[in-house]
Amino acid sequence: MTRRTIQIDLNRVEGDLDFQLELEDNKVVDARCIGSLYRGFEQILMGRKPKDSLVITPRICGICGTAQLNAAVLALEHIGRIPVPPAAIRIRNLCLMAETVQSDLRQSFMFFTADFCHSKYINRPFYEKARAAFLPFKGWVHRGALEHSRHMVEIIALFGGQWPHSSYMLPGGVTTPASSRHIIDSLSILNKLTRWFEQTVIGTDLESWLALQSADEFFTWLTAKDAHADSAIGMFTLISRDIGLQHVGFGTPHMISYGAYDDPDDAGAFSPQRKHLFRAGFLNGDTGNIEPFEQAEITEHVRYSWFQPYPGGRHPFQGQTIPDYQPHSDRYTWCKAPRYQNKVVQTGPLADALIDGEPLISSLHQAEGGNAWLRQLARLRRTARLLHKMRETLHELAAHPNDPHMISPGKEEIPDGEGFGLVTAARGALGHWVQITDGAISRYQVVTPTAWNASPKDSEGRRGHWESSLLGLTVEDPDDPVEIGHIIRSHDPCLVCTVHVLDTGKRITVWP
Amino acid sequence: MADRHIICFGNDLHGDDGFGGRIYAQLSQLMWPKDVELFNAGIAGLNALRFLEECRQVILVDALANFGSVGEVFLLRPDDLADRPEQLTGHGLGLPYLLEALKVIRDPLPDILIVGVEIAAVSSFSPGLSDKTEQAVAKTVHLIRGLFSE
Repeated sequence: MTRRTIQIDLNRVEGDLDFQLELEDNKVVDARCIGSLYRGFEQILMGRKPKDSLVITPRICGICGTAQLNAAVLALEHIGRIPVPPAAIRIRNLCLMAETVQSDLRQSFMFFTADFCHSKYINRPFYEKARAAFLPFKGWVHRGALEHSRHMVEIIALFGGQWPHSSYMLPGGVTTPASSRHIIDSLSILNKLTRWFEQTVIGTDLESWLALQSADEFFTWLTAKDAHADSAIGMFTLISRDIGLQHVGFGTPHMISYGAYDDPDDAGAFSPQRKHLFRAGFLNGDTGNIEPFEQAEITEHVRYSWFQPYPGGRHPFQGQTIPDYQPHSDRYTWCKAPRYQNKVVQTGPLADALIDGEPLISSLHQAEGGNAWLRQLARLRRTARLLHKMRETLHELAAHPNDPHMISPGKEEIPDGEGFGLVTAARGALGHWVQITDGAISRYQVVTPTAWNASPKDSEGRRGHWESSLLGLTVEDPDDPVEIGHIIRSHDPCLVCTVHVLDTGKRITVWP
Repeated sequence: MADRHIICFGNDLHGDDGFGGRIYAQLSQLMWPKDVELFNAGIAGLNALRFLEECRQVILVDALANFGSVGEVFLLRPDDLADRPEQLTGHGLGLPYLLEALKVIRDPLPDILIVGVEIAAVSSFSPGLSDKTEQAVAKTVHLIRGLFSE
């Protein structure tokens, strides 16, 4: 039996992440997900005025700053019981959807599908076709995704003045109303992208694609016309299944979703009681049942993290983030280990679709489970749903041209108290928990989607979702482990993935 | 309309990686012709494509690795990077990636020059340039000034 360790660096925008894998006879027997960069946003926010969070937290991420802003403002509105008008909810939703669409398209066609062009597949029948479509900067799908995705966030710039790191959501609404010019400009951007999505990604119109309700309907559709099989989603599916991605990368069966996009028709309710357009819930992987989501069931463990130790897990309102770097201990990451009902869970578009009851993804999940291919397909399914929903939202805004975009909270300051804001970012469940004492932030805890998915082991020694999704995987060539790249990228870690083989010191670039 | 752009890249928090930001700060102190606009792209990655639109000439300023002696200033064209895609210190996916992306969205390309300095070290969370890199700042500013004077 041969045993070796490989280390995979994931060069992320949000912060550095590495994987350290133990292989025995080319099979993954242990995996450790290492957050190698301490961020410290919780400390930065301590002692500051509450509304400073609206400027600071969008800087947490260069990809999902709108989601961070939305979570931050919802937390403040929760504390102050501050109402928000429907138009403001619609503008917030529109911008959050735009950010998610851009992220999903880039993740899918600039990072995930590029792996199909790997030289390992040179003798496969799909290879030339894959290169023609997905090769970075050369393939027609890659080029289209680059060109069209970049305009999407211009919608956020129209309403928020800039993207990324905008601060246009304030307690009580947003800073700018939806003028007819904003709406027309946004529709123009949306229509261009939708047209490209229909022609290139799905090979049919949006309504026909969204009408697919079951696994059988999907696979029948796939082979019904050349335009379907030769579409980006068709090729992605056929190649993924040819190389077996429907059989790998499952991870934990438990899933959570905070629900996505506040329902503007329920604007009279205060956050967090307000309904969502896409449902929140907990998919219990043991029973298959979807249970109501309750944020009080969230805890964070630090047993294997470089933070000052405490026993078991703590809810974010009792949480602490005090760095305690111990490089020579069995602790291995700057990430905490969030758990729900003391269970390891995953979050992201697959979880969101299943918990919302989206029929196609639910049917495919029932047939084959939460594999790497389905996780990626769920991401693209979401894009179609969001393009449809964005159009609907813009028309709703146009139908109510003089609705207020802000209800002034009256009081200048947010009162003392505690609150939370929960949203669905591109990578899944994002939450901010805030406590205010004597007019200043006394505790701020951010639990990101990646904290859920990339979590280390918890105080009971249970591995996080990404870690467990790699166990048992056979790697043909440990010096060039493209199989690992497929699975890791299905989790949406984004950007470059390089591999360091510790025993030789050889460095290999997996991407592109 | 400002159709000559100077775009500086780098992370001010990481030692010599802050070279681009340092140059931006220096260039901002100078008077420029009306058709020249300065941008501090920081670590913008693909989002920096916006700064490369609607211009006919561009100077990209960044830190370099493995090009020469520490502190040495280089004037390069995009083709000079073609065979060394991993050699720039890179922010996110780095300048070579950005330039490849630019080819997808712009035809014809603007006239692109790259001004860089060979740096000593990228030191995590250690703001400030090393001595040799700092010494290259004045020379770099002079070079850029000469390229876009009138």
